[in-house]
Amino acid sequence: MTNGAELTVTGVDRAFGGVYAVRDVTLSVAPGELRAVIGPNGAGKSTLFALIGGQLAPQAGEVRLDGARIDRLSAHRRARLGISVVFQAARIFHGMTALENVMVGAHATNGAGFLAGALRLPVHHREERLIRERALECLARAGIADWADRPAEELPLGQQRALQLARALCAQPRLLLLDEPASGLRAGERERLATLIGELRAEGLTMLLVEHDVAFVMRLADRVTVLDLGGVIAEGTAAEVRADPRVIAAYLGAAPEETGPEAAAAAATATATATETQTATGGERDAGTAARAAEDQGQQNAGVREDSASARKGAEP
Amino acid sequence: MKRLGFGVLALLLVALPPLLPERHLATFVLLTLAAAVTVGVSLLMGYAGQVSLGQASFYAIGAYTAGLLAVHGTPPLLGLLAAPVIAAVAAVLLGAPLLRLRGHHLAFATLAVQLILLSLLAQADWAGGAIGLQGIPRFSVGGFELRNDLGYAYLSCGVLAIALLVARNVVASRAGRGLRAAATSEVAAAASGVAVGGYRLAVFALSAAFAGLAGGVYAFYLGYLAPGSFPVLLSIEYVVMAVVGGLGTIAGPVVGATVIVLLVQVLNTLGTQPGMPDYAPTVLNYAVYALLLVVCVLFLPKGLVPALDRVRRGSLDKARSIR
Ligand SMILES: Nc1ncnc2c1ncn2[C@@H]1O[C@H](COP(=O)(O)OP(=O)(O)OP(=O)(O)O)[C@@H](O)[C@H]1O
Ligand SMILES: [Mg+2]
Repeated sequence: MTNGAELTVTGVDRAFGGVYAVRDVTLSVAPGELRAVIGPNGAGKSTLFALIGGQLAPQAGEVRLDGARIDRLSAHRRARLGISVVFQAARIFHGMTALENVMVGAHATNGAGFLAGALRLPVHHREERLIRERALECLARAGIADWADRPAEELPLGQQRALQLARALCAQPRLLLLDEPASGLRAGERERLATLIGELRAEGLTMLLVEHDVAFVMRLADRVTVLDLGGVIAEGTAAEVRADPRVIAAYLGAAPEETGPEAAAAAATATATATETQTATGGERDAGTAARAAEDQGQQNAGVREDSASARKGAEP
Repeated sequence: MKRLGFGVLALLLVALPPLLPERHLATFVLLTLAAAVTVGVSLLMGYAGQVSLGQASFYAIGAYTAGLLAVHGTPPLLGLLAAPVIAAVAAVLLGAPLLRLRGHHLAFATLAVQLILLSLLAQADWAGGAIGLQGIPRFSVGGFELRNDLGYAYLSCGVLAIALLVARNVVASRAGRGLRAAATSEVAAAASGVAVGGYRLAVFALSAAFAGLAGGVYAFYLGYLAPGSFPVLLSIEYVVMAVVGGLGTIAGPVVGATVIVLLVQVLNTLGTQPGMPDYAPTVLNYAVYALLLVVCVLFLPKGLVPALDRVRRGSLDKARSIR
């Protein structure tokens, strides 16, 4: 049983060259909750994750884990506090086997230091054995046990993504950040991932999940936070968010008042249908189609993005 | 295969010294000490991605630490043990602010430190100044004193063995795994809990400790130290040895040091022929280092040891396909 951590993000800002990627985001995730974060391309989802994981420091605001401030800590310290990340791009370690890749994840748990390794103290041997066992378990959980001794860079893309997840699990996290873990996966692999995420949730791990496949997200998450232009535009249960006119507008790339009621209703139905088709038939082909439709919508939005970005730039203090 | 390599190396180190004529024994001692320093340089370059152009300053710090302590009556063993510690402390003080920065900061800083150290030593009367520190007693433990070159040959073999063993352990341990991970993705390594900066600093300190320990042996062996014994050329020599041998390999430093020392011997013989100007040996050395580096980068980017490995594996494959 994991005891999931509580995450509180208050008013965080992060800009790149005067353009806000994340602006005044406030978000609170209860222990054991699975929170989905959705939004069009460039909405700031990955940037928000980086602010929580420590790859970036916020320019304003606070990030707290179980009530303690962590926003000034380096990424490796945050990892030691129990935050694990599955990056959007598969960041794996080359020149090392899959097993070794996963063993690196164990760095986040307490461990023998530099000297213990250099002098081969007994603690080193004891730890190595434990870490290896745990890493093998994590590989198995992620469904890639057969690849353990292969060089990581030889794994197919889907397996590389699973490898990242196995590495994150090997850290025994209390907060897991999953940035589009299902992208590039085949339908069967997606199902397996959904099952694993469900298991982790049942174990009480707190998770944040970014995913463009809206159906995938809505099915798994307790609550959904919608980001657009770096800010939170809606938050609630899947049903609440789906009915929110601002969400519909964001996904269609138009302001609510400009959208006629018919268009909003059509968009709502489109999202809802995508979800329902998937839950009803459970058919992998349909789920895939829905996912692609959702992704296409995201891509369309990217065009509108350019203008909004310059608009945001003007708003810079 | 790895174990076999170690065995052969150990056998060579134990069996070779008594067979060498007296005048070659001095070369053997210096070669072995240089190899021990190079183990650290290779670790630093291969696993922390950093270059030190002033590794000879840690060799000097170790030598002066052991020499000064011994001259003031400290038991030689204590002096020898203090040498790597003081060198490592110096490396931490220097590296802590520098390793945060990326790129070649450490290379320039170590070079600068060596130049400063050399000029300070030349002015420090308490360390013998430019004339040098004299009267360093021979190395002894209990009542047993190391008098002849053969003894020092074995002592330096011991130092090399320690350096090789510790380097191998670090590479194969949790820390080595973290460093190798950071080589492809620093972001993902840090996110997995690897304190990348801390590990790099530790590798730098360790490399300085190897140099310091070797320097300590050098002090007792020669019995006399002068700033002129630690030129910048020596630091460059270590880098060339590491690159020629192959970075990040265990046998590389030994192979690299052997190749370079033998080459330098030949060049010295050539440079001191009657009729040669007296700057000939130095010029020849620099020219050969430069040439070797260029050749290595162009033709053997990974160094001799990996290249030989490839050749051997290649011939194995061929043998198999013939069968
Ligand atoms: N390192 C960076 N330098 C400059 N701009 C950046 C950087 N990282 C992100 N941005 C910008 O910040 C905005 C938010 O990017 P982010 O990657 O967080 O979006 P996202 O919601 O994860 O998008 P996607 O769905 O495409 O992954 C984008 O406009 C992006 O171009
Ligand atoms: Mg992203």
